[in-house]
Amino acid sequence: MIIVDSLLVGGIRFVLDKVASAVDAEMNDERSLREELLTAQMRLELGEMDEEEFAALEREILARLREIREEQQASGAVSLSDGGFAVDVTFRGDEDE
Amino acid sequence: MRWTSPSAGTRTNRLQLFGGKGGVGKTTCAAAAALAAAEIGRRVLIVSTDPAHSLGDALRARLSGEPSQIATRRGTLLAAELAAASALDRWRREHRPALREIAARGTYLDTEDVERFLDLALPGADELMAWLEIDRLAGETACEEIVVDTAPTAHTLRLLAMPAALRRVAEILDRMQERHRLMAERFGAARQPDESDALIADLEARSSEIEAKLRDPRQTSLVWVMLPEALSLAETRDALASLDESGLPVREVIVNRVLPPDTGACPLCRERRLAETEAIREIREALADRQLRFVPEMDKEPRGRVALRKVEKKRTQSPSSPGGWGGGWERRGWGGEGLGGTADISIQHSDGIGDLSWLDDLAPAGLRLLFFGGKGGVGKTTCAAAFALVLAERRPEMRVLLLSTDPAHSVADVLEVPLGDDERPVQGAPAGLRARELDAGRAFAAWRDRHGQAAGDAVGTFTAGGAGVGELLDLTPPGLDELVVLATLLDAVVDGEGGFDLVVVDTAPTGHALRLLEMPELALSWDHYLLSLLLKYREAVGLGRLAAELVELSRSLKRLQALLRDPEHARFVAVTRASELPRRETARLLRSLSKLAVAVPAVIVNAVSPEGCGRCGGPAGEVGTLRDRLARSLRRGCAIMKAPAAFPPPRGVRRLAEWARAWERISA
Repeated sequence: MIIVDSLLVGGIRFVLDKVASAVDAEMNDERSLREELLTAQMRLELGEMDEEEFAALEREILARLREIREEQQASGAVSLSDGGFAVDVTFRGDEDE
Repeated sequence: MRWTSPSAGTRTNRLQLFGGKGGVGKTTCAAAAALAAAEIGRRVLIVSTDPAHSLGDALRARLSGEPSQIATRRGTLLAAELAAASALDRWRREHRPALREIAARGTYLDTEDVERFLDLALPGADELMAWLEIDRLAGETACEEIVVDTAPTAHTLRLLAMPAALRRVAEILDRMQERHRLMAERFGAARQPDESDALIADLEARSSEIEAKLRDPRQTSLVWVMLPEALSLAETRDALASLDESGLPVREVIVNRVLPPDTGACPLCRERRLAETEAIREIREALADRQLRFVPEMDKEPRGRVALRKVEKKRTQSPSSPGGWGGGWERRGWGGEGLGGTADISIQHSDGIGDLSWLDDLAPAGLRLLFFGGKGGVGKTTCAAAFALVLAERRPEMRVLLLSTDPAHSVADVLEVPLGDDERPVQGAPAGLRARELDAGRAFAAWRDRHGQAAGDAVGTFTAGGAGVGELLDLTPPGLDELVVLATLLDAVVDGEGGFDLVVVDTAPTGHALRLLEMPELALSWDHYLLSLLLKYREAVGLGRLAAELVELSRSLKRLQALLRDPEHARFVAVTRASELPRRETARLLRSLSKLAVAVPAVIVNAVSPEGCGRCGGPAGEVGTLRDRLARSLRRGCAIMKAPAAFPPPRGVRRLAEWARAWERISA
């Protein structure tokens, strides 16, 4: 039983881990894009970038963000809300190992 | 030890401070006292710290940030008008190497960041620099007596709190050095104190010394100047209470511009005397524990040495105990009669009764911000409140906020309704009107509770070992009043959350009203400095919420700047009186507003007496002179209006609205 349990738990855990890291990567993508957008906004405010450059960059970043969303929806993954969120996956039995 | 005058050996020099609401005659009384002290053979320095200087007007001399000698019969009189921005620049230039060193040791900023930091303008530079400048001038001129003419009330209180703030800054700078000192010791180097240590020690010593001096009644005296009016008494009471609380008690109170006994048969003067007699009775009761001096009103506004000598003579001759000549009035039968009710004089309407066409010129549809400003005591608050009332009456669909930003509030007293630091309906006024008296101290405390930790952390990120920068937030920052007004305007007008169509702003007297208008640019420079730091160090510290908030703030500030410069959206009404000192200050105000590109739709000449009695309000003849003289400073499209004199001054919703209907245009 112990073997079945650990296989089963281990198997589920493996899958969940994969999902979590995939979500993580996407979030990181999204987060870094958002950070890039914020950086551009800062540059615009400081006059280091003109409106035109900013508009072009903003279009590009927003397009990439949209792509990510569409991929997520297509793959049925959790859609990320604007504020971003942390995926908190814990497993029973973690403490045992 | 600059406070010790070299010529006087070990004897310390005396400090005399004059405070009071704007327009009560602080500058005149201070100048008169300084002149008198010089003419008994002393060496005297008088310094004005009000950013809107009028000391030069009172002395009839052209003054600057450096002492100028004023001709005297005996002794020496030196006078200066503090120039805060250039004083700050000079101080930073002089101590730049040391400041650079402290910043380099105490923060993680590189040379370029430090250099930019050292060039930033500071809010509240007037109060911050005042003591260091007075100290410097006192030392350089070796004067035995120093007279300080302060800015109107609220800023006097800030000024008096400043030495303590300076001392805390010195402590924080010292802690920034601490880490460097410890490291040097650990590596066994016997570290010699250098220039930066000397600067910190000097700052610490000087601020402690000034603080001690201010609290020593043998060295410092505080003189409060007020008018024989109920409103002035209310404000004086509040101010004296806060001064007592901070351990700087006022012993002498000058009641200025008391009507002399021989004023002829002018009916307005008679009304004024009734109100005044009652006010003086209340003053004697409320301020029984202070030394009261009564100075009668002069026939002409005192300017120049001859007139100032007269003022001082009256002040020193004035008996301070009740029953002196001030009290003699009651005996002569002026008191007592008709004091039961308010002497509600009917305001003389001329042809323009109820003609409010000027209302649209001052506040066309779509206007978001209308400032009322001018020299202290000209009646800014009364005009702003009366205007807001008739506007709300005339345009019932509009949501109007009457916002008092003068830290020494008087809107509630003028409207005769209770108000506070929230937007309240005004009893008896149209439903569309709300009024609020901004409380900067409270707003700061609330902000500190909400964001203090985050702000401390943000600064701490760039500061070695935290350096106790968070503690800075325990202090009232210089320029706080203007900063809080700025934040409130952003909320109410720019970010559209306030839900008001128009905000009528009752500003602090001239100098600080101009500081307020300069504030968006100053705030923007700090915002951009922080943005560029975050950009530069984003790998190390990350961008976080702060960056997003700074971007947001930058946008709002730019919107406010654009709004202030757009005559369709923001305007500034200058209030003045038909006499010399207010006229001169108004001309300077108009020039400054023009430089700031803020539109002025009208100048209101307040308290114009219809009878032409030379005493009460501005005589009709002088209004013409004022109009001609001001015409040069006026831009096209700026009207001159007059508001009639009334005694007692218009108070309460009904009388205010009635009074505003009697305003009329006297020029295009």
